[in-house]
Amino acid sequence: MALVTRAEGRKYLTPLVGFLLLFLGFPAIVNLIYSVSTVTFETLRSPVLSGFGNYVAVLNDREFWSSAWFSLRFGILTASAECLIGLFLAIFLAPLLSKRPVLMAPLMLPLMVAPAMVGLMYRLVLHEFAGPVPYYLFEWFGDSPAFLDIDNAFRTLVVVETLQWTPFAFLLFYMAYSAIPLDVREASSLDGASPFEIVRWIDLPLMKPTLVIAFFIRFIDGFRVFDNVYALTGSGAGGSTTSLSIYIYQAFFKEGAIGKAVAASVVLFLASFIVLHGLNRLAGRRKL
Amino acid sequence: MKLSRTSFALMATLLAGTALPTSANATVTVLGWPGGSEETALRATVETYNTQASDADKVELLFFNREGFYDKLQADMAAGSSAFDVNLVATYSLGRYAPYMEPIDLGADAAKVFGESVLKTMQFDGKQYGVPTDLSLHFMYYRKDLIDALIRDDAARKTYGEIAQKYLGKPLQPKDPDSWTWDDWGATALYFTKRVNPDSPVRYGTVLQMKNLLFNMMVFQSLPRSYGGDWMDKDGNVTVDSDAYRTGLELYKKLYDAGSSPKDSLSYEYAETNAAFASGQAATALQWNAAAADLTSTEKSPAVAEVTGIIAPPAGPDGRADHIHGLGLGLNKNAKNKEGAVKFLKWLATEDAALLYARSGGSPALSPDVVGKVAKERPDLVKLGEFASKYGYVMTGATSASALPVYELQAKEFTGYWSGQQSLEDALAHTKAGMQDLLKK
Repeated sequence: MALVTRAEGRKYLTPLVGFLLLFLGFPAIVNLIYSVSTVTFETLRSPVLSGFGNYVAVLNDREFWSSAWFSLRFGILTASAECLIGLFLAIFLAPLLSKRPVLMAPLMLPLMVAPAMVGLMYRLVLHEFAGPVPYYLFEWFGDSPAFLDIDNAFRTLVVVETLQWTPFAFLLFYMAYSAIPLDVREASSLDGASPFEIVRWIDLPLMKPTLVIAFFIRFIDGFRVFDNVYALTGSGAGGSTTSLSIYIYQAFFKEGAIGKAVAASVVLFLASFIVLHGLNRLAGRRKL
Repeated sequence: MKLSRTSFALMATLLAGTALPTSANATVTVLGWPGGSEETALRATVETYNTQASDADKVELLFFNREGFYDKLQADMAAGSSAFDVNLVATYSLGRYAPYMEPIDLGADAAKVFGESVLKTMQFDGKQYGVPTDLSLHFMYYRKDLIDALIRDDAARKTYGEIAQKYLGKPLQPKDPDSWTWDDWGATALYFTKRVNPDSPVRYGTVLQMKNLLFNMMVFQSLPRSYGGDWMDKDGNVTVDSDAYRTGLELYKKLYDAGSSPKDSLSYEYAETNAAFASGQAATALQWNAAAADLTSTEKSPAVAEVTGIIAPPAGPDGRADHIHGLGLGLNKNAKNKEGAVKFLKWLATEDAALLYARSGGSPALSPDVVGKVAKERPDLVKLGEFASKYGYVMTGATSASALPVYELQAKEFTGYWSGQQSLEDALAHTKAGMQDLLKK
């Protein structure tokens, strides 16, 4: 017997569906209309339908593809670095944290800072004449690299993002690691497994779902990055640090090309949907 | 039932509590220009205004980031926002925002305080849209002690000549900064570059603002302008690919590549430039006039305050040129408290308020009689008026509704060239094509 009848299910789902239609459906429909229209700030309420020209403009725009490439590289690199460092810390610090849980608080602190603030903070920290990092590099080595020039800006941004969000991955991994029953490890240890073998053959397989989820959450966050990049380098010299989010922002506000910006966001939405749907199907198959 | 009545009463009280203060404590919300001397001056001026204003007319200030300021403002105003009663407006964006604003009558005395020409920087279609609070142009800041020492030292003069010949291909000699050409400035910047001249007492010869940011293009363009550069000719043809722009862009790149400006200059704007010059490690800096108060303050810039000289930007074949624009405050068409907003704007246009604003670090362009009253405390304001009248210019097309996107385009393409991502030819071709598209709209 079903716990909830079909009629009850409909009743319970109505508020949620209403909420989604109101707050997601309406903007989505407006976006779809704008994406096939000629529209400016002055004609926001009266767009003129003009076909798929905005989509053609976006797909033929080399800046769209270079910003997509920037976002993809940034997302993969930061997600990988955060997960690797987070995993190492989770396993390495687990014995200490189990005895002193209070240490979790300072480790989580970077998560509390707004990304835009992090960008501004590093703008100061890395400034040659005001920042502590270049100051000590000059003191010790007589020189300091250009952290935000064309050669290093990308690396600096990756490091800044990784430093802020590694605690997130670490938190997930520590919880997953703590949830592994001790007797499993003890049994493998009695069977002669080395600590490395325990991690490789016991801990990592049991943590695999968490590892995968953490990687994708961090990848999505990295892929859509905006705040800290924009605060630290803007779109970069010649647009070299333009992420897809910054591309859409610039097309919308700076160029006033509202149709093009919305078309780019629809393309991004479709690409994300296809990827997520594919992943969902893969996960479904595994369960079977 | 009792519970629901109690809940209802509680909710009603809560709602009333949130709604009532809005009507009872009406204030005037002013959206100002964030992060510079303009913000400091406006805060101090408003503090004084609030001591004499009634509760309904008290002013609350609202600031957000300088980055993307005009984009956010445009989105807010186009959406009919009433989040602020008074908003910032600039000469170069007046045409863009005028449809969302209401003209104001500042009274006859405003002309006596600011002068007709300055009031015009806030006029569109013959109507007054704002109170001109700040006039912006650029000063060339330089280290008097370093230049004096260079001019007096024969060995240093010889080295200077060798560097000028090697890097600029010209036999130049050090001279008084007030008679500098851009080549003289370039040679001086190179001489004071540690990487070029290991004996330089400072690390860098200059500080170039090269971030991909529209305001940095305003700083840069006085160089090509003094070589005769302009956005368009009389017939409306885009002329950004002129020799004047080439010369300016090449000189910036040459200095950056030679190490004359800090390595991170491609991420530098107003604040970074101030910090670099104030550190005492740069010999010159082309910077907004708003920085004068900070760079000559012994409290804020102890390393350079007493040895900082201020002149107009150097000369090119067409003489000196200094980018000029005005910032001001005007009335939002959708203001909630229009009456209070107009009262505040009229007060801001009085002599007392203008002098208070000037003494608090702002940079109003005042008529000669009025500026004389603050000349002792703010000698830079006297220079401001002098430079604006002698060298001030506005590029053809730079007051159109597309002016800001044009600056954005130039910022992206020119920084692409300076950072070595594209050739000069490509940068100019892309800029020209983009400007043709934007300016024909």
